[in-house]
Amino acid sequence: MVDLSVRIGSLTMRNPVTTGSGTFGFGSEVADLIDLNKIGAVCVKATTTHPRTGNPAPRIVETAGGMLNAIGLQNGGIENYLSEKLPYLRGFDCPIIVNVPGEDPEDFAYVVERLTEAKGADAIELNISCPNVSHGLDYATDPKATAEVVARCRRATTLPLLAKLSPNVTDIRPIAQAAEDAGADGLSLINTVIGTAIDARTRRFKLANVTGGLSGPSIKPIALLHVHRAASAVKIPIIGMGGIMSATDAIEFLLAGATAVAAGTANFINPGVALEIAAGIESYLRANDFTDVSQIIGAVR
Amino acid sequence: MIRRTIAPTLSNTPLDAPNHFVMTFHAPELAREALPGQFIAVAAGGGMQILRRPFSVYSVDPEAGWASILYSVYGPATSTMAKMKPGDELDFIGPLGGRVFEADPDPSCHHIMVGGGYGVPPLAFLCRNIRAANPNARITVISGGRTKNLLVGTDGLEEIGVTLEPCTNDGSCGYHGLVTGRLEEVLAEDQTAHQPSYVYTCGPTPMMKAVGDLSIEKGVPCQVSMEVFMPCGVGICMGCAVARHDGTYARGCTDGPVFPAREVKW
Ligand SMILES: Cc1cc2nc3c(=O)[nH]c(=O)nc-3n(C[C@H](O)[C@H](O)[C@H](O)COP(=O)(O)O)c2cc1C
Ligand code: FES
Repeated sequence: MVDLSVRIGSLTMRNPVTTGSGTFGFGSEVADLIDLNKIGAVCVKATTTHPRTGNPAPRIVETAGGMLNAIGLQNGGIENYLSEKLPYLRGFDCPIIVNVPGEDPEDFAYVVERLTEAKGADAIELNISCPNVSHGLDYATDPKATAEVVARCRRATTLPLLAKLSPNVTDIRPIAQAAEDAGADGLSLINTVIGTAIDARTRRFKLANVTGGLSGPSIKPIALLHVHRAASAVKIPIIGMGGIMSATDAIEFLLAGATAVAAGTANFINPGVALEIAAGIESYLRANDFTDVSQIIGAVR
Repeated sequence: MIRRTIAPTLSNTPLDAPNHFVMTFHAPELAREALPGQFIAVAAGGGMQILRRPFSVYSVDPEAGWASILYSVYGPATSTMAKMKPGDELDFIGPLGGRVFEADPDPSCHHIMVGGGYGVPPLAFLCRNIRAANPNARITVISGGRTKNLLVGTDGLEEIGVTLEPCTNDGSCGYHGLVTGRLEEVLAEDQTAHQPSYVYTCGPTPMMKAVGDLSIEKGVPCQVSMEVFMPCGVGICMGCAVARHDGTYARGCTDGPVFPAREVKW
């Protein structure tokens, strides 16, 4: 028997694989293609105080080994999530992580409070790192701003609280520490890497928003280093993500110091990938005579 | 039900149009369940391009258990597809698409399909379904291309009593000019004859906009199948935004791909 379960604060995941917010909808869209009862946790699309229409098209372009997105946090708002999306997901035996962006600390805290009182989440991931909306990036590029949001939300909930960090920084360690000191139970990283794409033929930017967030295999080396550095700076667990397409990729993140991992862009190619990754991690542990996934967390030499 | 299927291909036949192919594959569930306007998302070794590529379902044979797509070679994934031999495996997810072409149930309706390039295949599928449901339905396909040998997707339709109205920019076949020129004439004829008409369109966006605008102007209902980039096809990325007049964005994949022309803000 191999023990695949991991803990993020008081949240227990039956296996260390969840989904990247914004890359798995609300689960219902792909329920034909993956057994939601087996997944480590489902992390749903960003949910804001009010509905957001999102950015104009084109919102996504493909790049070498990845893609750029500028969705702009299109979502129906917290009340729509609670009434339309949550009941369906609660029909499955899987923990729900809700991703929460915000305009300012009070805005973050409002959604966190609503989720807490309505029992709308098993953990909350503060999206202080979305590169596609104004202010989005600011928090996770500054330790003080990060601490301010996390501390305010800490007062608003007893649910496990994760801070989702940005790769668009020189050194992630002070930001990771700031989130930990302010009361975060864990960290998620990385969000997308800011970038752009230009069409030589039309001489225009390819995204209506000009800039977007890069994801997919092309960002894995960046993500691995940030995860390793953050893990060396804090004691709280990390959900590692960025370019994970396979179990081998996921194992590399565990070795780098992540306690759990998320598949993001990979869901677009294979919505069943989270379970395939979990199965692959199990085979790896068994083949290498490990009995518990914790034995490989941070074990890189 | 949406499934991921690894299907053996049965044939991969080049068409007269350069770089165009029809691929048939064994997929009994898809053949049974797919509706006109629905598509599949194919993963076909695109090298550094990792996303799936959407292809409209072209034809199905529920009894024999096969389905087909019509595609042109324009990048790494379709180049890989063009090299596939019978027996090679096609990895696809489908059927995809939440809102499909809905044929006008009025038995006296003149169904007018307006297509360009690989917008024609889903319309051909719709023609065959309308014909199967009503042997007397009047169906016309107005298809456009730059030149004669680029007109694709209408094979076998004349045999089931569909009127073909090819249009070419260079006059090498049929009507000399754009599909909207011929559509305007056909709609005028229907109007004079007090014949109700219904327009269904799929193809390049500028063409569909022109067809949608013309139909609205003439008071004829029109369904458009949106050609937007679809990174996931299943409704989880929000990358396939279609702007609506009410200021919101629909998902091209699951809220569409077919929309009433009136809803779309081009
Ligand atoms: C289309 C798209 C939408 C995303 N939306 C969100 C979001 O709403 N909130 C968030 O925190 N991260 C969002 N992300 C970032 C992912 O959750 C993840 O952090 C990032 O894509 C890196 O992982 P990947 O390379 O496996 O995709 C989004 C990513 C993509 C590609
Ligand atoms: S293609 Fe991803 S949501 Fe439509």
